[in-house]
Amino acid sequence: MAGALPDVAQHDTFPKLLRYNAEHRSSLAAVREKDLGIWQTWTWADFCDAVRRLTAGMKALGLKRGEKIAIVGDNRPRLYFAMSAAQSLGAIPVPVYQDAVAEEMRFVLDHAEVAFIVAEDQEQVDKILSQKEHLPALRTVIYDDPRGMRDYNEPFLHAYDDVIGMGDEGAWDGEVDLGKGTDTAIILYTSGTTGTPKGVVLSYDNLVLCAKIGADFEKLRADEVVLAYLPMAWVGDNVLSYCQAHLVGFSFACPESPETVPHDLRELGPTYFFAPPRVFENLLTQVTIRMEDAAPLKQRLFRFFMNVANRAGAHILEGRKVGIADRLLYRLGEVFVYGPLKNVLGLSRLRVGYTAGEAIGPEIFRFFRSLGINLKQLYGQTEASVFVTIQANDDVRPESVGPPAPGVELRITEEGEVLYRSPGVFQEYYKNGEATAETKTSDGWVHTGDAGVIDGDGHLRIIDRAKDVGRLVDGTLFAPKYLENKLKFYPNIREAVTFGHERDFVTAMINIDMEAVGNWAERRNIPYSSYQELAARPEVLDIVEGNVSEFNAGLAADPQFAGSQIRRFVVLHKMLEADDGELTRTQKVRRRFIAERYAPAIEALYGGDDKIVLETPVTFEDGRSGTITGDLAIRDARVSEAGGERAAA
Amino acid sequence: MTRSGDILLSVKDISLRFGGVRALTDVSFDIHEGEIFAIIGPNGAGKSSMLNCINGFYHPQEGTITFKGEERRQMRPHEAAAQGISRTFQNIALFKGMTTLENVMTGRMLKMKASFVEQALYMLRGRQEEIAHREKVEEVIDFLEIQAIRKTPVGRLPYGLQKRVELARALAAEPELLLLDEPMAGMNVEEKEDMCRFVLSTNHELGTTIALIEHDMGVVMDLSDRVVVLDYGKKLAEGTPGEVRGNQDVIDAYLGVSHD
Amino acid sequence: MEILYLILIDPFVQMVDEPSFLVEVLIGGLTSGVMYSLVALGFVLIFKASGIFNFAQGIFVLFAALNFVGLMDLGVHPILAFVITIGIMTALAFAVDRLVLRPLVNQDPIILFMATIGIAFFLEGFGETLWGGDVRPVRVGIPDAALFWELGFGEILVQSADLFAGVIAAFLVTVLALFFHFTPVGRALRAVADDHQAALSVGIPLNNIWVIVWAVAGFVALAAGIMWGAKLGVQFALSTIALKALPVLILGGFTSIPGAIVGGLIVGAGEKLFENFWGVPLLGGATEDWFAYIVAMIFLFFRPQGLFGEKIIERV
Repeated sequence: MAGALPDVAQHDTFPKLLRYNAEHRSSLAAVREKDLGIWQTWTWADFCDAVRRLTAGMKALGLKRGEKIAIVGDNRPRLYFAMSAAQSLGAIPVPVYQDAVAEEMRFVLDHAEVAFIVAEDQEQVDKILSQKEHLPALRTVIYDDPRGMRDYNEPFLHAYDDVIGMGDEGAWDGEVDLGKGTDTAIILYTSGTTGTPKGVVLSYDNLVLCAKIGADFEKLRADEVVLAYLPMAWVGDNVLSYCQAHLVGFSFACPESPETVPHDLRELGPTYFFAPPRVFENLLTQVTIRMEDAAPLKQRLFRFFMNVANRAGAHILEGRKVGIADRLLYRLGEVFVYGPLKNVLGLSRLRVGYTAGEAIGPEIFRFFRSLGINLKQLYGQTEASVFVTIQANDDVRPESVGPPAPGVELRITEEGEVLYRSPGVFQEYYKNGEATAETKTSDGWVHTGDAGVIDGDGHLRIIDRAKDVGRLVDGTLFAPKYLENKLKFYPNIREAVTFGHERDFVTAMINIDMEAVGNWAERRNIPYSSYQELAARPEVLDIVEGNVSEFNAGLAADPQFAGSQIRRFVVLHKMLEADDGELTRTQKVRRRFIAERYAPAIEALYGGDDKIVLETPVTFEDGRSGTITGDLAIRDARVSEAGGERAAA
Repeated sequence: MTRSGDILLSVKDISLRFGGVRALTDVSFDIHEGEIFAIIGPNGAGKSSMLNCINGFYHPQEGTITFKGEERRQMRPHEAAAQGISRTFQNIALFKGMTTLENVMTGRMLKMKASFVEQALYMLRGRQEEIAHREKVEEVIDFLEIQAIRKTPVGRLPYGLQKRVELARALAAEPELLLLDEPMAGMNVEEKEDMCRFVLSTNHELGTTIALIEHDMGVVMDLSDRVVVLDYGKKLAEGTPGEVRGNQDVIDAYLGVSHD
Repeated sequence: MEILYLILIDPFVQMVDEPSFLVEVLIGGLTSGVMYSLVALGFVLIFKASGIFNFAQGIFVLFAALNFVGLMDLGVHPILAFVITIGIMTALAFAVDRLVLRPLVNQDPIILFMATIGIAFFLEGFGETLWGGDVRPVRVGIPDAALFWELGFGEILVQSADLFAGVIAAFLVTVLALFFHFTPVGRALRAVADDHQAALSVGIPLNNIWVIVWAVAGFVALAAGIMWGAKLGVQFALSTIALKALPVLILGGFTSIPGAIVGGLIVGAGEKLFENFWGVPLLGGATEDWFAYIVAMIFLFFRPQGLFGEKIIERV
């Protein structure tokens, strides 16, 4: 199955790779989609055929070389076809986060001056129509799913099914030949933790070379199984699904719907899989809950074999020596515990699993690796066409993100900021020369904005956002993200935001984990009907206080961070939500925004009060907004003496 | 403004008594093809009784019900179902031990052509049919966006989703007339909006005629083409939402209720 | 102390001393347990689908067996006799539906229960009128030989008829389980068992379902009757033995098919073990008749819904 990869000097764009695949890998599966409960497959020949027909239609509708075409929707084969058809014509696809509200979407569509939009369904079309008057460049909207579209008769609206009937399919080859590696392949808007999104311009050379670096490094094969479930607007989906599939010839599958991803995962059993740490956290939470509800015998069995896995699992995975007894027990555990567990999680066939985007809890990371799942960390950016560092199969560590990927150079500035240079380095920020100049030096080094250190073995360790690292009044280092990530390793804590820059001490606002705490509450017959109610229960505050105090004890042992123990905290009355602007679309906290909106809470944390009434705006799923008011208790956590643990020992 | 076509169901002078209690008195109205028709009224006005008469759970002592031009006085629920009347219930009547998929499959029960004996033996024809029905059911599952809970026993689902599964089961029968007994009862805002969307798209895209009972006035006014108002088992008013809203009797009836 | 020794220690010493005896007792217990299971199964089917506690299920066993041996005595081939008896049981199901259930629809469960008692006495008398009151042996070609099995610890004696009965029962239960879970009618049956109102609204004709359920219960009764008949001969005492299904139901839960099976096996094995290791040495035997009821009573105290039951029954 291995088969050599196509020559990327000759096949230097994705349409060309598609043509190569249609000739040399014609009967291999390219895309799958679960439709009406059954997995449907398109081979590379089918893929190419679909793209040919759509290209002809788009050309007939007047899409021109160099124009931008937005793609809005969940991962659907037809939206990937649209991406490919646009690239065939030399137009530039601009995938847009599908859960963005209309106004957010408008910024990107307007800034990119999109002439065409391919939208998944009525929901997306409605959003676009509501902004149409602000989008002077927009000429044509194509929609995939005709459901609910019967009464729409705007002249610029076309059904996908109608478009593929238009134009001359024969023109495709000629159009593809016109493309070259230095052309712009795609513009990906990064959500950014502050300010407005920036359009990262990536060339075919960027993407094809990076895809190849990753594929060579992991020895990817044409029989990999991949689930394309992360937003199409995110560079990870583009490179790990679309680009690498084109290069290696494997197939990627689109889930039936966003809610069915866990089922689809189980059915498919991917061999190559990416998920942000959050997903792994959720999986572990589910396992823990299920085990707590299981029969005592099962629980004991689980605990016993997880101990074995803890001792031996990672060593076996990385090919190191393990005692004969543990090796045998691990085998037995595979039969009784690990195997069934991996099967339930849909990870039993996994060869290469990546997590990135944020730090993953070491316990979580070790848990999956001890089961024999090859989960690795990588460090990447949209601006790098993903790969900056990757962990090698035989050298995986929870606390660092690995050495530079092949072809990548890395260095750290005086201020501690991480810089890199690689073949994947982006061309520019679209229509934003100022930001481009700030980020990319003239000799091709890119500022990541992350603070980090390189350890003795050349592994990169990320501490925080460079600009977020601050100092307490007494000069102690304050790295909020480092603290928050450590806090979030407690299953009860879903989200945390810490404050401390130019303050006397550190405080935190916390979201509890509804699933973990809710389950805990149910087992203790503590009644609640909503997040707000649960978060206000004194019993819940007690366990969170316990977690924070324990967290403080841990920090106290580290001289660098002993001063940034959390003195006071508050559990918020609502979840921080992307819809309310409090998180980015990739679920990162927007620190400054939160600091402004929750200013009264912060003042209370630093004041002497032990409670505060807080009113905050919320946006409901339908786009309407309202406010939610809560009575919040502020708690003090136990602070440990610096170096306390060591002193005790 | 209504899209109404011919009369699909005609209720004439229906009276229903339980012992000495009069639940309905001389109620008449027509439901037209393709419309969303709402039956509203204060608690105890006889709305659910009316629905139960239409689908054959109750047999009115007087009056006639004409469905698709056929008049009938006594009809059993499964006969009503066979004629193309599906319904949901105020208090959700799902098969709690079965999965979503199995529940929706039961909605196809009447469409199964193979004889009961053939089905019992599950012979070739029964099996082919099962596959064909499964396809139809998958369309309904797709339509109502409940793919993720296909294999979940419905007893474990939250209330809002159970209501949706119940609607799915009713739709699986491809009804001509769909009766919804308080489809939004007990739902939160978000669930209500979803349900409204599904009711509307059922009406628009599948062309199903819908008769519904609902307490939430906002929902009724938004959704329905025509409304009949019942109070103490009698018809108080009938017309478009606008007409009914302005009717003094209706206002009085509702004001009277809002005090208890 | 002596008595404690006899109760707590001695029986187990015996079991270890004579493992082949223990195994024989167990096998004997399990095979009669299978019979209890089959009768209980009939109860559960009807109870699940219609909420009726069918007192006549025990008589069904007898009646089916009577018809079967009666036909065979007339010279009918066993297979044909089997088919005809199924026909009779189906006709009986129809008759029960038309003459008893429909007129009494929406009545209190207790009324329906009384009606089934009526059915029971009618069938008992009717059966006797038709076929007479003699004990009749069943000869359907079930091989009845004593087999000696050499196990590691000694030799045991097994009746081939017992084995045969076990296999048939297992087969029957499997078929029923498949039928319930994978066929449209099975789904309809489960639907009716779950929620009558909802079942009606999707167009499941309740009466047809009831006929099917009663017919299936009749079929199960026939299977139980043949096997029991092969063991003990078809006699009117069968109907009282069939009432052993009651403690089985309490153990297993009134609405659970697996409960009926497991409950039957537990009762069967339990009463034989108790009789042989405690009953005979301590009480002089004859504990088999009441042991199951005592167990059932203890169960009622601690787990009234049974091993597999869903909550407590409200209908009877």
